[in-house]
Amino acid sequence: MRNLKILLIEDDEIERMKFTRVLKKNNYACKLEEATNGEEAVEILEDETKTPDLILLDLNMPKMNGIEFLKSLKSNSQLKYVPVIILSTSNNHQDLKRCYEEGIAGYLVKPLKYEDYVEKIKALIEYWGKNELISV
Amino acid sequence: MGEIKPDILQRALQREKAARKQAEGILEDKSRELYNVAQELKTVNEQLESVLAKKSSELQGMFHNLVDAYVLMKVNGDILEMNDAAKELFGYDPKNEKLNVISLIHKEDINYAMNSFQELVTEGFFTDYVARAVTKDNGVRIVHINGSVIKDKNNEVIAAQGIVRDITSQIEAQQLKEELLRNLEQSNKELNDFAHVVSHDLKSPLRSMNALITWFKEDYEDKLDEGAMKSFDSLLNKIEKMDHMIDGILSYSSIDKNEKEKQKVNLNKIVSDILEMIFIPETFSVNIHDMLPVVMGDKFRFQQLFQNIISNAIKYNDKEKGVLDIKCREIGGFWEFTLADNGPGIPKAYHRKIFEIFQTAQDKTKSTGIGLSIVKKIVNMYGGEVQVSSEENKGTTFLFTLKKTSK
Repeated sequence: MRNLKILLIEDDEIERMKFTRVLKKNNYACKLEEATNGEEAVEILEDETKTPDLILLDLNMPKMNGIEFLKSLKSNSQLKYVPVIILSTSNNHQDLKRCYEEGIAGYLVKPLKYEDYVEKIKALIEYWGKNELISV
Repeated sequence: MGEIKPDILQRALQREKAARKQAEGILEDKSRELYNVAQELKTVNEQLESVLAKKSSELQGMFHNLVDAYVLMKVNGDILEMNDAAKELFGYDPKNEKLNVISLIHKEDINYAMNSFQELVTEGFFTDYVARAVTKDNGVRIVHINGSVIKDKNNEVIAAQGIVRDITSQIEAQQLKEELLRNLEQSNKELNDFAHVVSHDLKSPLRSMNALITWFKEDYEDKLDEGAMKSFDSLLNKIEKMDHMIDGILSYSSIDKNEKEKQKVNLNKIVSDILEMIFIPETFSVNIHDMLPVVMGDKFRFQQLFQNIISNAIKYNDKEKGVLDIKCREIGGFWEFTLADNGPGIPKAYHRKIFEIFQTAQDKTKSTGIGLSIVKKIVNMYGGEVQVSSEENKGTTFLFTLKKTSK
């Protein structure tokens, strides 16, 4: 399995802790970058050495929110093929549709229970670790 | 030859006499005919006069009795006549004062009025002219006018007449209604957004709490005694309960959302989808006795409606073999559905209460008290009623109707 380079864009500190904990407990050797909103993520992505294999994106964030970030990413010819997986509280049809229209690779609803969260994130890492990815 | 013979004279005289007599006879006949014709003419004239008088008085009556204002004017706009309604509306009496129609028109509407007047002269009439009129005391009224021209026998336009209706209050009421509707839509939307934002914002700290407590349990497993573990578990249960309540609020507020376009919904499919989706213990059987109808509406709402009743029946069942019987029949303009289970039943005191939001007949740990309020809301939305009948320990029957819609 490939060691994924992941960019996690999430404003909630505990959510970020949850993600790192899953990586650590399962000994996933992923390289993780963290951003607390879209603006920070854009800054990180300006550094080409930090171009990730996978972006995990929260929708509801201050400054630049998830949809805005997604739009800016898709208009960047260097970065538009990086798969984006949404991590959101909302399972609202409208939100899902907007994301799929912009172009996303997946949409996970954050479950209440931590155990359920672990299941979802493990499946995600395992799946994308086995995927063929392209870089421009 | 100079002598006239008396007998010839005599004969000539006789011929002349006869001719005169004949002429007199003809004259007499003609006179009689003339007299007759004159007599007939007189009667017809009398009839005509009475018709004219009748028509005039009818017109006069209409002129006075017309609820709408009536204005008669010369082609140059000088007002000739107004009925009582017109005098009252505009405040003028053309019998006492000289008045031109221009002074009745709001100055911002002059152009429009002139165009319409032109149309009146060329076309002979106009309809549905709506503009502002100015009254004698400078009040502004919104009026609706239908107008037509009056021509003389040579087809020359000699005057114009208009029926004027004061629609000010009608327009104002319309505007008020539209404004109210806009406000209502706005506050509905705000309320909905509020419910959504609050619900999602509330869910996020619950997730954090769940994670932190779970980590505590994981990391200090060997240091925590059984009592501490139990406390943490009940803490996690409370968090879960609260999360369910927020979901409930979210779906309760979502059903108020603007309805999606009405579509055909096959209730057989809705129910079989639900039965596949939810967990049904092997000891529980759901029997569908009738073909369910195809109805018009929002698929998601029908799903919520049936799912709430079906999952309640399964969740609370306390019998060795649980049963839910689903039946449907047509009654007049309605479909009537009954869902009867053999569960613990609902005490009569709660029958009314269970349809209110946050009210539950059950022990509070299992239920949020939102499900049946959603059922009621949806049933009412589709023009139906819902009621419950129940015998304790024997079971509960929910009966609801849905209004049939024309396809």
